[in-house]
Amino acid sequence: MPIEQIETESLLSAILQGLPNTIEKIRDMRDSFLTDAVLLGEIPSPTYGEEERIRAVMDRFRENGLKNPMVDEFGNASAHLAGTEGQSSIVVMAHADSVFSPEVRHEIQVGSDTMTGPGIADNALGLAAMISIPRILSELNIKLRDNLILVANVKSLGRANLEGANGFLETMSLPAKAGICIEGSTLGRLSYSGLGTLRGEITLQVPADYDWKRFGAAGAISHLTGLINHIREIPIPKEPKTQLVFGGLKCGSSYNTSPRQGSLRFEITSEGDELIGQVENQLNEICEQFSAETGTHVQMEVVAKRMNCGIPFTHPLVKTTRSIMQQAGTTPKVDPSTGDLNALILGGLPAVTLGLTTVENLRETNETVHLDPLYGGMAQVITLIQAIDQGICEL
Amino acid sequence: MSTKEQSWLERNTFHHSVFWDLIKLVEEKERKGLKISLCIPTLNEEKTIGKEVLILRSELMERYPLVDEFAVIDSGSEDKTLEVAKNYGADVYLASDILPEVGNKRGKGENLWKAIHQLKGDIICYVDADISNIHPRFVYGLVAPLIHRDEVTYVKAFYDRPLNYSSGIRPSGGGRVTEILIRPLFSLFYPELSNVIQPLSGEYAARREVLEQIPFPIGYGVETSHLLDLYEKFGLETFAQTDLDRRVHRNQTTNALGKMSFGILQTFFNRLHAQGKLDRMPDLDTFYRRFEVEDGNYRQLIQEVVEEERPPMIDIEGYRNRQNPS
Repeated sequence: MPIEQIETESLLSAILQGLPNTIEKIRDMRDSFLTDAVLLGEIPSPTYGEEERIRAVMDRFRENGLKNPMVDEFGNASAHLAGTEGQSSIVVMAHADSVFSPEVRHEIQVGSDTMTGPGIADNALGLAAMISIPRILSELNIKLRDNLILVANVKSLGRANLEGANGFLETMSLPAKAGICIEGSTLGRLSYSGLGTLRGEITLQVPADYDWKRFGAAGAISHLTGLINHIREIPIPKEPKTQLVFGGLKCGSSYNTSPRQGSLRFEITSEGDELIGQVENQLNEICEQFSAETGTHVQMEVVAKRMNCGIPFTHPLVKTTRSIMQQAGTTPKVDPSTGDLNALILGGLPAVTLGLTTVENLRETNETVHLDPLYGGMAQVITLIQAIDQGICEL
Repeated sequence: MSTKEQSWLERNTFHHSVFWDLIKLVEEKERKGLKISLCIPTLNEEKTIGKEVLILRSELMERYPLVDEFAVIDSGSEDKTLEVAKNYGADVYLASDILPEVGNKRGKGENLWKAIHQLKGDIICYVDADISNIHPRFVYGLVAPLIHRDEVTYVKAFYDRPLNYSSGIRPSGGGRVTEILIRPLFSLFYPELSNVIQPLSGEYAARREVLEQIPFPIGYGVETSHLLDLYEKFGLETFAQTDLDRRVHRNQTTNALGKMSFGILQTFFNRLHAQGKLDRMPDLDTFYRRFEVEDGNYRQLIQEVVEEERPPMIDIEGYRNRQNPS
């Protein structure tokens, strides 16, 4: 075995030995980050409306004595924990936006073993965990050689197409060597690749001069149903793995009046970039044909498009992350990401996404996180930061 | 409104945001050698108690050491209130175990009263257990005037009801019992006290030396009695009040509010009787007092409401003539 490899393994082994102690320390100091999760989670933060939650994150950055807390031109909050050497940096990101609109009552309930409320898992808990890292490192007396760059990124979800994360990475001035994305859901998650994604919205409108006497005349609901049936006929191959999901349908508001317009939201994810392009072309053709045949106006808008990206399963960052998870008693579940990880990897950084705890009712208003597994999930993040800092996650 | 009242309203009404600097507040508390106890009275509050204990302890004991002692005093909950409160680090007491020689009465006032014996602080802050949007301001907003101003002895919370905003002006936001019962009663009998914007709020902080001098009704009348008794003993000058913005809590049925009003009326008339006001009934005031807030300024609106009366119709000559033309 080469000497370098022996050194790496002994460094990793030393770090892994500290994991049980890290879990217990985090359990002892849980109150501060559970509090942050509740206080941040109760501030509505829809995509493109994250300002108030970002202000609260900035307050915490300042209270924790971090360097250069700032909100950039995109709305992201970031701050630095200076390393003892500061030659390079580790980026830790958690998205600050939520799928819930401000009209939803953002109230988090705290039980003995759980916390429940809209967005607590996705991603109030992730955000709180990111904020708490400097305190945990200090409590564990860990001094990093690298700078730690903490980012609460905005405009991550839905139509925003990772605008915040991309903007931050494009303008980041410090050289970075790796990135970690933190998500509340789900413990064991290990993402090291980003799936090619196309996200779009099809709007259908019955025109004002529509001939209601023509054969097959119908309102927007019937037409959208027909359109969906056509789309479902697109052949989706098993290889490369590809998936088409209908994620939202908006149409009508009464019992007895045919609506004149409606919209359908969808997402195609695939391991093949070419295939995504093919499906996009087919969708455009279907919309055009359907529009001509039914006398309706059908328009498809692509709101987000990303290429496949990733680092290999054998990359030292992935390998080390798996070792840490195994040491923590967690079975890694490889799960390609469609989120911020894509921005990091496409930006040239080796990166992984980790989930913190087990979750029920994800993205429902009664989203629930379990607290006991959370401490192990947090300890994985801290241990991975240590490992990256020690230089054992580099090629 | 008298100049004295207007002056009190301006000097002794705060918004919690003026006390945001908790580091300074803790320094001032320590400089004055004050100890602060926080008490949450509970009965079957498992849904909200966890969050209250977690957030208030974490923010006001661990992050900023403003509170020295944090106790949950329970009336005998049958749900998981005690387990959850203990889990997040509160000192948990059964009211029945405190001062057992005086016996046990079941009611929120009992828990508040026994807290004076059980807790050690120079200042005791009481916070209800059913606040679903709990935030540290519910405590620091109340204890800060006591820390900064030696002459203030009792600080009361007031809030908004979130649905009542309209073009920058918002009503005083009292609950139904406040608006229908308490404010009219105070306007009639204790006009100065009607400057207290939310007399029934369950959140207040007070110095031990005043709490130990007043009786505590066990049930619904405890907040009203505090105001009446302390006003009689020390006057309006020793009160202050803090705007805590928004408070979300469970809604009560009209029946429950009726029961609450009945308890409050008993307390109120007992005080009127004890102060001789029932035997020597004063001329009743005809000014109704309520509040509005505009651009952060609190303004009392005074409206004269004179309930004029007509005599029985039979006393009117024209009526008698029409009924009996002969």
